[in-house]
Amino acid sequence: MNTERKSFLAHMADWITWPRFIFSLTMIFFLTSILFPFYWMVSSSFKTRAEIAGREPVYVPNALRLEAYRELFDPEHPSYQEFGTNIINTFKVSIPTAIIAVILAVLGSYAIARLKFKGKNILLNSILLVYLFPGVLLIIPLFAMLAQIGDQIGFEVQDNLGVLIFTYLAQTLPVALYMLTNYFRTIPDEIEQAALIDGCTRLEVIWRVTLPLAIPALVSVSVYTFMIAWNEFLYALVFLNDHNMFTMPIKINTIFNDPSPRPHVVMAASTIMTVPIVLLFLSMERFLQEGLTAGGVKG
Amino acid sequence: MSVATKSNWKSLQARETRLAWSLILPTAIIVFGLVIFPAVFSVWVSFHDIGLHNLNDVFNASFVGFDNYRKVFEDFAFKFQGTQSWGAAVTSVVYSFAATILTIVVGLIASLLLNRPFRGRGLARAIFLFPYVAPIVSVAFVWRWILDPRPSGVINDVLMRLGVIELPKAYLATRGLALLLVIIFEAWRYFPFAMLMILARLQAVDNTLYEAAEVDGASPWQKFWNITIPELRYVIGAIFLLRLMWTFNKFDDIFLLTGGGFGTKVLPVLTYEFSFRLFDFGRGAATAMILLAILVVFMAFYIGVVMRNVEEE
Repeated sequence: MNTERKSFLAHMADWITWPRFIFSLTMIFFLTSILFPFYWMVSSSFKTRAEIAGREPVYVPNALRLEAYRELFDPEHPSYQEFGTNIINTFKVSIPTAIIAVILAVLGSYAIARLKFKGKNILLNSILLVYLFPGVLLIIPLFAMLAQIGDQIGFEVQDNLGVLIFTYLAQTLPVALYMLTNYFRTIPDEIEQAALIDGCTRLEVIWRVTLPLAIPALVSVSVYTFMIAWNEFLYALVFLNDHNMFTMPIKINTIFNDPSPRPHVVMAASTIMTVPIVLLFLSMERFLQEGLTAGGVKG
Repeated sequence: MSVATKSNWKSLQARETRLAWSLILPTAIIVFGLVIFPAVFSVWVSFHDIGLHNLNDVFNASFVGFDNYRKVFEDFAFKFQGTQSWGAAVTSVVYSFAATILTIVVGLIASLLLNRPFRGRGLARAIFLFPYVAPIVSVAFVWRWILDPRPSGVINDVLMRLGVIELPKAYLATRGLALLLVIIFEAWRYFPFAMLMILARLQAVDNTLYEAAEVDGASPWQKFWNITIPELRYVIGAIFLLRLMWTFNKFDDIFLLTGGGFGTKVLPVLTYEFSFRLFDFGRGAATAMILLAILVVFMAFYIGVVMRNVEEE
């Protein structure tokens, strides 16, 4: 026993050097400060109100209790939150945003990458300028403008998920356009030229030749636009008033600001909102790395 | 014959141009209609008296000149009143610079950690991206829950056990400390962006530079200062500009963490409060214009000073 420990210590002493020591220490610091909040989110979501409100924090819940999830989903619960509706609303805005953004960006970025026309660079640059506009600056005129147009054409601006999708498109299209243009430029022109000579029209070329080659880029752009719409907070906060129309972020904010604090419910809702996104990201990481450095997620 | 081919080619080119415009038109309409036009329109809004009362008749709102701007400049939430109360403009500038610098420092350390091969590097790299990809609402509320003012808050519990504090503290409701914590939160959330960009650049650095330095007997520290840092200058400059502007524009993070209270009120939060709490859209737009003006100064400074220095060398 004693010799074994000694040899282990000796082994450690051999292995450890100053650079390695500093490396391990920094690594441990990074990993704990990144992972602890996520552990705390998930573990708090399985605690009861008593555990949450005690004198001391419960670091390891002794059982997975579903009280918080029952409040979110169980209609029998006294303060039932109808969180299912909020999940559906979030899907209702983020899936159309992703699909429409990808379709429009494919067409637009193909034009920018392949076709020659006047005003191309000005157009691209002014669309990229959108990156610099603060969302909070745009929301005031948008609100006033859409209220006015809605009055005349006859649609509601408030609590209208369609309006929300439109504003999300404005936020996601520039990113999508930028990423796809860069990708299309890497596909050799000769392949397309060959198809054109064979008698395909431009649209056929896009559909049959370019798109199949661009699948990795299409996947990453749709995941990004989906994530942006899934996470968006400010526009949803301003445009949604009715609890039945809330997307998840607004609902979580509402539960958090409830006069009787229920952190376990907030953490349960946050867990539901976070886990799919992190899993989606991890499963697609291969496609996504490049997009991240291209400023894919405007943050 | 040659004329026919030429006109044929010309019409082909005209067709290409027409096709190009029709392909890009939907995107252009949405972006211009929902971004460029509103941006110009908000200049107009900032000079008019617009509130809930005339929201359905915006274009006939009365012109008020610089009234909205004067109101903003005189507002106690905006103006600097000494070290106890910085006002939104100064807070915004301090917050964005500090958060950007800290983000880059943390991102640089993280990228140096991941740049050397070790077992589980791929996994560590994926984990390092978590704060950046997780929804802002979730991570902001987790941090609020960790920093909870009750004794059941994790930070309170740990610090009381260690004997650093005797009574639980309200971290996000303490002037100064709140701003510092918001800055640390920004670095925690956004360092992966800096890390990825620096990592991509690090992997492109020519290894012979390090080998040559080793032959000359350079210490690791010297290699870092004389090779790594100069090689990274461009990319760090680019990250600095992007992060500075995005942080300066950012509304969600501070709104969710502190609600803009306790010395953390930045211009985007003030804009929101004027517009959607007081429903004084003119004053909100004027605040947003001031924000934009400061942003333009940052960019001009960056382009004028930083970029020119880089070019000269």
